[in-house]
Amino acid sequence: MGTAVANTPWCVMVILLPLAGALVSFLWPRRSVPLGLVTALAVPACVAGLGWQVAEQGVQRYAVGGWGAPLGIDLYADGLSLLLLLMTALVGLGISVYSSGYFERKTAAVFWPLWLFLWAALNALFLSADIFNLYVTLELLGLSAVALVALAGGADALIAAMRYLLVSLLGSLLYLLGVALLYHSFGSVDIAILAQRVEPSPAVWAAVGLMSAGLLLKTALFPLHFWLPPAHASAPAPVSALLSALVVKASFYILLRLWLEVFPPSDAAVGQLLGVLGASAVLWGGIQALRQARLKLLIAYSTVAQLGYFFLAFPLGTSIAWKGALYLLLSHALAKAAMFMAAGNILRCCGHDHIVALDRVAKRLPLTLTAFTLAGISSMGLPPSGGFTGKWLLLDAALYTGQWWWALTLILGGLLAAAYVFKVVGYAFTPAEVSHEVRVVPVRMEWTALVLALAAVLLGLGTPWLLALLDIGFPFDSGYAG
Amino acid sequence: MTWDSSLLLLILATSLVPGLVIFFLPEERVSLRTTLNMAGAVVKLVLVGVMIWGVFHGQQYETRLPLLPGGLDLVLHADAESVLFVTLSTVLWLVTTVYAIGYLEGSHHRSRFFGFFSLCVTATVGVALAGNLITFLLFYELLTLSTYPLIVHRETEEARQAGRIYLRYTIAGGAVLLVGTVWLYDVAGSFDFTHRGVLAGLDDADRAALTAIFVLLIAGLGVKAALIPLHGWLPRAMVAPAPVSALLHAVAVVKAGAFGIVRVVNDVYGVEFAASLGVTGPLAVLAAATIIYGSLRALFQDSLKRRLAYSTVSQVSYIVLGIAIVGPIATIGGLVHLVHQGVMKITLFFCAGNLAETLGVHNISDMNGVGKRMPWTMAAFTIGALGMIGVPPLAGFITKWYLGLGALDAGQDWVILVLAGSSLLNAAYFLPILYVAWFKAPPDAWPAERYWGRRETAWALLAPPAVTALLTLAVGLLASAPFSPLQWARFITTQEYAP
Amino acid sequence: MNAYLSALLLLSVPGLPLLLAFPALRSRLPRPCHLALLPAVILLAVPAAFSIEVPWLLFGSGLGIDAASRWLLAMSVVLWAVAATLLQAPSGQAVDKRLTVFFLLTMATHLGAILATDLVGFFAFAALLGYGFYGLLVAAGDETARRAGRVYLVFMVVADLVLFEALLIAAATTGDLHFEAAHHALALSQEGAPASLWYVSMVLVGFALKVGIWPLHFWLPLAFRAARPAVALLLGGVPVAIALLGIVRFLPLGEITLPDLGAGIQWLGLTAAIYGTVVGLMQSHPRTLLAYATMVVTSLFITLLGSGLEWPLLGAALQGTAPLFIMTLGFTVAALVAGSMLADKVTTQSALLVTARRVGVLLLALSPLMTVILTRPSGGGERLFAESGLVALWPWWMLCTVLLAFRWLYLLLRRQGETMSAPASMIPPGDFWPILERWFSQSNHWFMSMGLQLLPRWRSSGLAAAGRLLQVRVWQKALDAGERALQGWSLAVALLLLLGLAIALLSA
Repeated sequence: MGTAVANTPWCVMVILLPLAGALVSFLWPRRSVPLGLVTALAVPACVAGLGWQVAEQGVQRYAVGGWGAPLGIDLYADGLSLLLLLMTALVGLGISVYSSGYFERKTAAVFWPLWLFLWAALNALFLSADIFNLYVTLELLGLSAVALVALAGGADALIAAMRYLLVSLLGSLLYLLGVALLYHSFGSVDIAILAQRVEPSPAVWAAVGLMSAGLLLKTALFPLHFWLPPAHASAPAPVSALLSALVVKASFYILLRLWLEVFPPSDAAVGQLLGVLGASAVLWGGIQALRQARLKLLIAYSTVAQLGYFFLAFPLGTSIAWKGALYLLLSHALAKAAMFMAAGNILRCCGHDHIVALDRVAKRLPLTLTAFTLAGISSMGLPPSGGFTGKWLLLDAALYTGQWWWALTLILGGLLAAAYVFKVVGYAFTPAEVSHEVRVVPVRMEWTALVLALAAVLLGLGTPWLLALLDIGFPFDSGYAG
Repeated sequence: MTWDSSLLLLILATSLVPGLVIFFLPEERVSLRTTLNMAGAVVKLVLVGVMIWGVFHGQQYETRLPLLPGGLDLVLHADAESVLFVTLSTVLWLVTTVYAIGYLEGSHHRSRFFGFFSLCVTATVGVALAGNLITFLLFYELLTLSTYPLIVHRETEEARQAGRIYLRYTIAGGAVLLVGTVWLYDVAGSFDFTHRGVLAGLDDADRAALTAIFVLLIAGLGVKAALIPLHGWLPRAMVAPAPVSALLHAVAVVKAGAFGIVRVVNDVYGVEFAASLGVTGPLAVLAAATIIYGSLRALFQDSLKRRLAYSTVSQVSYIVLGIAIVGPIATIGGLVHLVHQGVMKITLFFCAGNLAETLGVHNISDMNGVGKRMPWTMAAFTIGALGMIGVPPLAGFITKWYLGLGALDAGQDWVILVLAGSSLLNAAYFLPILYVAWFKAPPDAWPAERYWGRRETAWALLAPPAVTALLTLAVGLLASAPFSPLQWARFITTQEYAP
Repeated sequence: MNAYLSALLLLSVPGLPLLLAFPALRSRLPRPCHLALLPAVILLAVPAAFSIEVPWLLFGSGLGIDAASRWLLAMSVVLWAVAATLLQAPSGQAVDKRLTVFFLLTMATHLGAILATDLVGFFAFAALLGYGFYGLLVAAGDETARRAGRVYLVFMVVADLVLFEALLIAAATTGDLHFEAAHHALALSQEGAPASLWYVSMVLVGFALKVGIWPLHFWLPLAFRAARPAVALLLGGVPVAIALLGIVRFLPLGEITLPDLGAGIQWLGLTAAIYGTVVGLMQSHPRTLLAYATMVVTSLFITLLGSGLEWPLLGAALQGTAPLFIMTLGFTVAALVAGSMLADKVTTQSALLVTARRVGVLLLALSPLMTVILTRPSGGGERLFAESGLVALWPWWMLCTVLLAFRWLYLLLRRQGETMSAPASMIPPGDFWPILERWFSQSNHWFMSMGLQLLPRWRSSGLAAAGRLLQVRVWQKALDAGERALQGWSLAVALLLLLGLAIALLSA
């Protein structure tokens, strides 16, 4: 049994399974929900298998179809990719369960193929070993995400989807230009090979600039975040969840990989620039979130703010800082998915999501409000949540390297998060002036939100194991380690 | 897991588990909920008794869980100081549970209330048992989060505002505390609580950084400990139901802050090291200023609960003052006031709740002749008030004795003036209440009277203040008996100061 | 005597009245106020002197009786019994429950204070006595009684504070606070340290407030005037007596020498006597005159104390004989008050009261003589006594008291003959205490109005201004405009390209 597990190409399975699921649910729309759920249960199992493999045998490199680099496609799994795969698997499972109760038959038939396809693309992205493959998967990811945004129908959703499409294409285009420049300069697209061959030159600088710009656009870093709130807020709740929790992380992952492995080491200026932009995102996103009148917009701006946190690791550069940012990433995924699910529940129950008019949600949907609050706790960075661990590690790195202003940003961001989370909670406790009719919310929707939020809050207790996972492969030792 | 390492987790679980279960109980299951509450409280009391016995005989109880890289563990540790605070919390939780059951009879959302109530006690006990700063921080924040739903329990606009202000203060304080903790970790490398201070053992530490860290830590803790100017949330939080005010804002939340300051000065910095840094002097001045300011503000209040809130602001700083005057006798006074103030203040709040619940009386100007209608309640109130003023042989007298003696011993004679002024002010704002209640003629009708036959009010509302008033009398009168809070404070101090 | 029995007896002397103070416990007992004195009577019957130690009480205290306190106890028992009898109003209506409660509480603390054997225990009982007596003054009384009570309470609270500080000084000097041990320790510490001077001064000030001697006497005339007869009877024997006892117990007389302070005290005593006589003779109500008469009598004692501080031998003697003086003072005041009841027109002429009046006059007139006789040190000290400072002027004191006695008798007889005249003013011109009182209540009102009206008004207007600032449209508009601007394609693409360029250049 052990050898069977060890010998299965889990890398491939992780990609093929959701792809197959997407295909099958496209062909049999009537059975799309159960098929989708089965796939959603199988994929985490595959990821677990892969995890076992990586833990036992170390970094995995698999050549698809037997053709290795530089001609074929390689799949590469180290601790970092594994962590992100794990994140996707857990959140994906949650979203799948949630969606099974959310969508009605017709929409579900369109949703499941798109969602599973997106999941496959995401997994492939995390396992890609060369930059062109990254482009392909990124593009596929973007397209399916756009389609999902437009799922809700209505003018707002369509406009947001169009904008998202244009942004996505623009970002990918810039990225592709960078890929082309690098290929032209060094003759290969494989990351490992590029890491050895890259030398500073004008072409490389241009590539760095282009690729970074494109990826930053796709990761919605301030000031290029304008597309995110409309897109995430006007999509249906499960789609918002997967967009905020998973899709934006993909481009960040690519940037991280390139930064750590491909781009030549440079002085601190770029890092500081990214840090400044990240800090601005934290503050701007936080303040804007506080001003919003609608719950889903508030959560979307909260995503903008939380994304800024990840970029604070760039100026700090130590391995502790990277680990902190990644821990924040992981807990943000869980927490944001939970928040959007909670918002979806409230929308379903009350028919609207105006914050001031939240009428005693605490009484009607106690589980949902608990989920929202717990997710908020992780966003604020209160112990013992994963957000706290990430914040602690970043604070530690900031004070250790003497760059105390990032520490200040982290604290202010936490305070802003507390402000907008408790604004919602406060209104949820009190009765509104006008009562609305309430509809029943399926139990599985409430429980999924709660389970994900609990996972985010308890994530801090599992730090030693998760951080040990990140050490496998340890891409953090190159050039920028502290 | 051995008994030694699991006892502390069990103590935490005895309030966590019933709390979680109670969340899911329907409103109508009153008896089950009451049983769970009381069972949890009693079992916790028994376990704490076992722990006290063990600690007194030198037994080590510790639980460690890895939390963060770099050797930062979640540590629960029972030493003499934790025992003091845990015992106080446990005993008073039992009493307050009885009171809350009586007080909330027939109101809404009791399951939610008692669920969060139990979470609060878990957090308080966690704060008491924390073995290093990171664990302390964890439970400290948990305390903030679990008290918020209790403040907004009434679901009125005023409650929401009070909750908002409360959060503003406490989350900001928590953030400052976090920064201080991380910085301390950077500078010192570890912060398990050790007797005589973990920093005292370091050779070359950056003194300026350590002073700045001290300021940050005290600022973060001072929010909950209601040091001026960080005390603004406390009077507003009085909008919560009386059991909440009683336990949490007179005992648990403010005590957690004061206890944190005690831990930081005694077990992180070490008293002598802190004195050599020069931070204890300003801390003493701040505490003295809070004492006087709180008492002055209390003079102006007509609402009974607000007057008591400002009195709390003033009295909790006695603890900080006792710690900040570097000297064993003053430390004893500060530590023992943890217990004494808790017992006295909870009595006063219980009585205030009784007046509000039975007669609809909230303001002192409505309290004419209350002593005739509710003699037992007012008797308990009288004992609590006289204790606050420092009349012997009640609890407050013991504290002021040790604080004054400690001040003389340490050569800080100005503290005596502060204590005298504070006693005078206490008399000025408590004695009029007593006079109005006992010696004025009652009105024809009370604002909102409820009847319980021949008794003055419900049993569940009457017994707790009686018990805590008796405790006030007992801890003062029997101060030299073994196992009294005073003796326990002595025990702690000998460990702290002994070479 | 068996240890348990003695402990029980001593503890029940203050304990029984305390228990009986609970209404539920005495509802079925006849005459509870008299019953409560039973243990004390038994204790008086037992001839031995003994004491018990209770180490777990407070800081380790105890109760005990010796020859001197026996006299005091006897006086107290008599006084309380008489007061209890007088407590029933002649019209036969039931006594106010509150009054009984405070009566018994005060009794308990009084008896406990007499039996106390250490400083802290005595202080505890004396402090509680103050509160109890306040209740006695005020319960079921009228406006004058309330005012008297208020003033009394303020004086008591301040006195307690001062005595507390003195106790702290004593505790800083020694750990064992039983009377003899404390005296030894304080005497020893006198060399080179001003601590004992502070101690003595604070003790004197604190107890002077409790005694009601000039210049800290304001409450005494008010109390005499306003209290009902049963309570006024107790005034000499309870608060004043305990205060005088306290001075003697607290001060290490006979072991320290403070000549300057002693001389000052003597002059103070003399001044008080003069003041008391002059003002007392001006009074037109018999009861208030009694207050000043009491002051004159106690002033002699104070002068004796002063000399005791100057000449230790005298002081040592005073320690032993003071209780006798206090006892006579108590009886004097009681007799006088009983006698003055004849003028109240609420009691019938009875032979008992007439006897009391005569006894009272005699006692008052002869009290300085008696004082000197009682407190004269025995065996060879007479000459010292005759030379010791202002005490040698005691015949003049005698003159004062005789004058006062005659004046009192005159007022009494005049009152008995006439109808009740309007109550005369009892505050002589120039006394500064009423001014102080008025100023204090005015400032109190000002504080309250500031707290309840002005400060909240300022605060709300300040908050409104701050709120306006936050709400200021400019901020909102700026944030909205910023976000909208960022959403424009032209700006976004421009920023994008700029960012790419920046990164490219910076990584070079």
